[in-house]
Amino acid sequence: MSVLLRILGIARGQWRWMAGGIALSVVVIVANSLLMALSGWFIASMAVAGVNGVSFNYFFASGGIRFLAISRTVGRYIERLMTHEAAFRVLAELRVWLFQRLEPLAPAGLERYAGGDVAGRLRADVDALESLYLRIAVPLAGGGVSILLGVLFVAIWSIGSAVALLAFLLGAGVLLPLLARRVAEEPGRRSAELAGQLRTMVTEGLQGVEELILLGAVERQAGRVDRLSARLVAEQERLSRIGGLTQAGSVVCAGFGLAAVMLVGSVQVSSGSLPGPSLVMLLLFTAAIFEAAGQMPSALSMIPAAREAARRILELADAPVPVPDPAQPLPVPGTTGIIFRDVSCAYTAGAPVLQGFNLEVEQGTRVVLTGPSGVGKSTVAEILLRFRSYGGSVTVGGAEIRDLAADCLHGLIVALPQRPHLFNTTIRDNILLGTPEATDDALNQALADAGLTAWIATLPVGVDTPVGEGGAAVSGGEARRIALARALVKDAPIMILDEPTEGLDSVMEREVVSRLAERTRGKTLLVITHRPACLALADRVVRMG
Amino acid sequence: MKEGRERKAAMDSAETRGGKRPEKWLINEARGVWGTLSRTVGWSFAAGILIILQARMLASACHRVVIDHSGVVTVLPLVVGIMLLVTIRGLVVFFSERSSAAAAAHVKERVRSLLYRRLQALGPAGLAGEETGPMVEAVTAGVEGLEPYVSRFLPHLALAAILPLMTLALVFSTEWRTGLVLLFSAPFIPLFTILIGRGSERLNQRQWGRLSRMAGHLLDLVHGLPDLKIFGVAKREAAVVAQVSDDYRQATMAVLRLAFLSAFALEFFATVGTAVVAVMIGFQLLGRSLSLVDGLFVLLLAPEFYLPLRTLGLSYHSRMQGVAAAERIVPLLDLPLSEGYSGVLLPAEGAPCVRFEDVAFRYGGLRGGVSGIDFELPAGSMTALAGESGTGKTTLVRLLVGLARPESGRILINGVDLTLLSPDAWRGRLAWVPQHPFFFAGTIRDNLLLGRPTASEDEVGAALEAASAQAFIQRLPHGLDTGLGDRGAGLSGGELRRLALARAFLRDASLVVLDEPTAGLDADNELLVGEALQRLAAGRTVLVISHREDTLRRAGRVVVLAGGCIERIVPAAEFLAGMEDRP
Repeated sequence: MSVLLRILGIARGQWRWMAGGIALSVVVIVANSLLMALSGWFIASMAVAGVNGVSFNYFFASGGIRFLAISRTVGRYIERLMTHEAAFRVLAELRVWLFQRLEPLAPAGLERYAGGDVAGRLRADVDALESLYLRIAVPLAGGGVSILLGVLFVAIWSIGSAVALLAFLLGAGVLLPLLARRVAEEPGRRSAELAGQLRTMVTEGLQGVEELILLGAVERQAGRVDRLSARLVAEQERLSRIGGLTQAGSVVCAGFGLAAVMLVGSVQVSSGSLPGPSLVMLLLFTAAIFEAAGQMPSALSMIPAAREAARRILELADAPVPVPDPAQPLPVPGTTGIIFRDVSCAYTAGAPVLQGFNLEVEQGTRVVLTGPSGVGKSTVAEILLRFRSYGGSVTVGGAEIRDLAADCLHGLIVALPQRPHLFNTTIRDNILLGTPEATDDALNQALADAGLTAWIATLPVGVDTPVGEGGAAVSGGEARRIALARALVKDAPIMILDEPTEGLDSVMEREVVSRLAERTRGKTLLVITHRPACLALADRVVRMG
Repeated sequence: MKEGRERKAAMDSAETRGGKRPEKWLINEARGVWGTLSRTVGWSFAAGILIILQARMLASACHRVVIDHSGVVTVLPLVVGIMLLVTIRGLVVFFSERSSAAAAAHVKERVRSLLYRRLQALGPAGLAGEETGPMVEAVTAGVEGLEPYVSRFLPHLALAAILPLMTLALVFSTEWRTGLVLLFSAPFIPLFTILIGRGSERLNQRQWGRLSRMAGHLLDLVHGLPDLKIFGVAKREAAVVAQVSDDYRQATMAVLRLAFLSAFALEFFATVGTAVVAVMIGFQLLGRSLSLVDGLFVLLLAPEFYLPLRTLGLSYHSRMQGVAAAERIVPLLDLPLSEGYSGVLLPAEGAPCVRFEDVAFRYGGLRGGVSGIDFELPAGSMTALAGESGTGKTTLVRLLVGLARPESGRILINGVDLTLLSPDAWRGRLAWVPQHPFFFAGTIRDNLLLGRPTASEDEVGAALEAASAQAFIQRLPHGLDTGLGDRGAGLSGGELRRLALARAFLRDASLVVLDEPTAGLDADNELLVGEALQRLAAGRTVLVISHREDTLRRAGRVVVLAGGCIERIVPAAEFLAGMEDRP
């Protein structure tokens, strides 16, 4: 429960909407119960008056019936709008909160989650929490308050009936659902888990379909999806059956509550302590107030799945930040010399990728880092970007980078990472990601330096061509050069380029290298590459491994 | 591109048909669980009869106490009767729920299987123009969206047709004037539901698109978080996430304001109808023209009369959800399968001879296509494909492996047109190592066995040895059982490349196609991969895209592409000499 409360706490800024929705749901239930109660009392009183041949002031009652009928229907409409509005507001807050929590984690902190699943969690689980307010908090809080008010109302006329009613209401609204919740816990947890697995498997299968086809593994993958889907559906069916049992239980509780009130009430009527019409009123009120308890079982049964989603979200959000921002960040360094001293780094404990690594890049010099693959060249870049925690010391301009604010460091550095990501937008927007204010001249210069000008000229809409999902609409070499242009246009004093010419043919490579040599003059540059052509960029070559 | 147009057309036509066809499809799918659904309706109908009996018992108990002033003893049998009735009703409700859940489960499983298989069959051609995010969404959440339609809307529709008629008949036989009130107020409920529902349905159709776009947007941002951080704009994008979520909220609320209006209309008529009945009965009771038992019975029946209609109205939401999901699913099922190969001939054994005859293929201008391609890969030869990026090298390879089909010209395998060959048999003969090999979130072993699940431990070992991958795998703490996480995280580019080569070795194919197998590798790794390539080439026909000297040297000839056409075909030595001459 604490997990769910914590999630709701994240959205506490929306408490007015949340509280308003719950209050309105109470108004609606109470108005409906009173409507039935008043109608019952009214016709019973009319019947008694008719039998006894006396007059009866029906203006109050029929006016009340009209008033309650209107409050109920209009109240319900407003309640629906308000609770949904609140639910979406809560969701929006959650999405943003989670994105902000993931930001310091990426990329090292997210590695152990499957690629499809991080985003899958972010979306599916946050969506699953839509039910948290709308289908869990509102029915439970609204139902609970309504039950209390209802029992108090009955107690005015008949303490005995009120006690019996309370017992059956608690049975239907609390005891039964708690029981069901226990039973549903396991299938609920499993179905959330299976849904996540299914999403990952479908994503993988569709993204890797070309290789699956050529490996002749399409049918096998489809079979795996079928089996997982069958397991998921079976769990969902189990949940529905538990839901059916709870529904059956509440039907029985409501009926028994009615029978109990009838029994207690008729004793009171024959002893003269309760007027006959009031018994009819209490009976109809009883039948109606069970609506409040009736909405609680399904709410409680949703808790396990919601809690599982909440747990996964919090687990993701609470993962330790690889390199947290210091409480007292150092000021922006005035110089840009880079020194790695006795640096070590391991992705998983006990398997170091780097050990005792030393490197110095003096301000304004250009160093090319080479070495066999797997020796940790890209890790050096990731450490310098503050993406990975490290042992030893890494300083920029004399400041230890873990003591610098991430934003401050990223203001000094620009990088072409090993696997740059192109966003699903135009070439222009991708290149101007960090510098939306850049002029067309700056953009064209970057395009030219990245060797893109000729290719762009062949595109019907030039730089406004969309690159597709993950750059799917452009070739690998083009994608890399777009990312290179993105780095160049930012023009920071420190530049890290991880394989800037991969995917280029030798002619293009030579051209890009010569332009880069021009462009990076005076910068502190670290190039990671195996390609001999890139050595032309170097003031100094460092070989690792 | 022709495929793309047809696909677009299929989608457009499904949209202009305005939900009719998707719902028809959905009902057709539900027909498969007809028996289960009928049982659901039967049980619910039984529950309705039990409610009416209970109302009668309650009314007569009240009559005895209030009017006849009889004691508890006369009421007791009725109290017991009510308890008995609700117990039976509880059971009946459970049975009804159980069968509706079973019906929905069956439909979901079936549709998901169909849809996923279809999307896979559409394959690369189908996926090239579409983003995977919405497709994954359709297979997972989309299929879930069908559940309420089957398990709620359809049974409620049937019950709304039967139950009110039965209740109405009973009310008429008890007190005909109140019967008239019910009869005349009832039609307003479906009327308003339909009137208001129409408007919101159109809006609702747009919702799905929005939801998918929001999903894709988030996926994109999360994948690109490192890049966002490097450029210091992650904070800015958080504001965009807020903006997108907020837009979604406003758009959805606009739909709901209308959708809830229909719920409001039907609750309004039901509540006002009941109130009018209560007042009418009251006056007749005052005038002694009706007994309390009958009056109360009718009052208790009035809400029950409206209930199935209200439930139907409320499950209109379920219907919209189901139709919206179907609208997303049906166009995907309708996509024409890319005119893949459907031949039946089996390719001859041994390394094949491949001939391209005037082959052309265009993507529609964005990516480089190819045209006028004429060349031969002699059996058992190793040919390199070179050329600037974007000149159509990858396109050519995709044509050869059958992931795309030439728009004109022919590809001949040992003199037989590729279109005449059985695609499965042809694929069984070839191994493909793309530029970025795809690895699944599973163990290294699972990924290796993907192409040949029956391979023995020895064969796997031999393939790893041949691909120079044995050494680094032995260094891993769990060896072959090490999990490959997010896009192969943990292994270097060169190591993943060698794993992909080992997978190709395991395939034991007679035609091997490699796309830049040594790009981004250092000299040591390039040598290892190169030697593996040499071993792989023995007795096979090999086509390799590469710019790397070491790899080119291993190939007999180099086919140079420029602007989607073959510029020249030269012996490797000559090509390499030319490379050195250039400035």
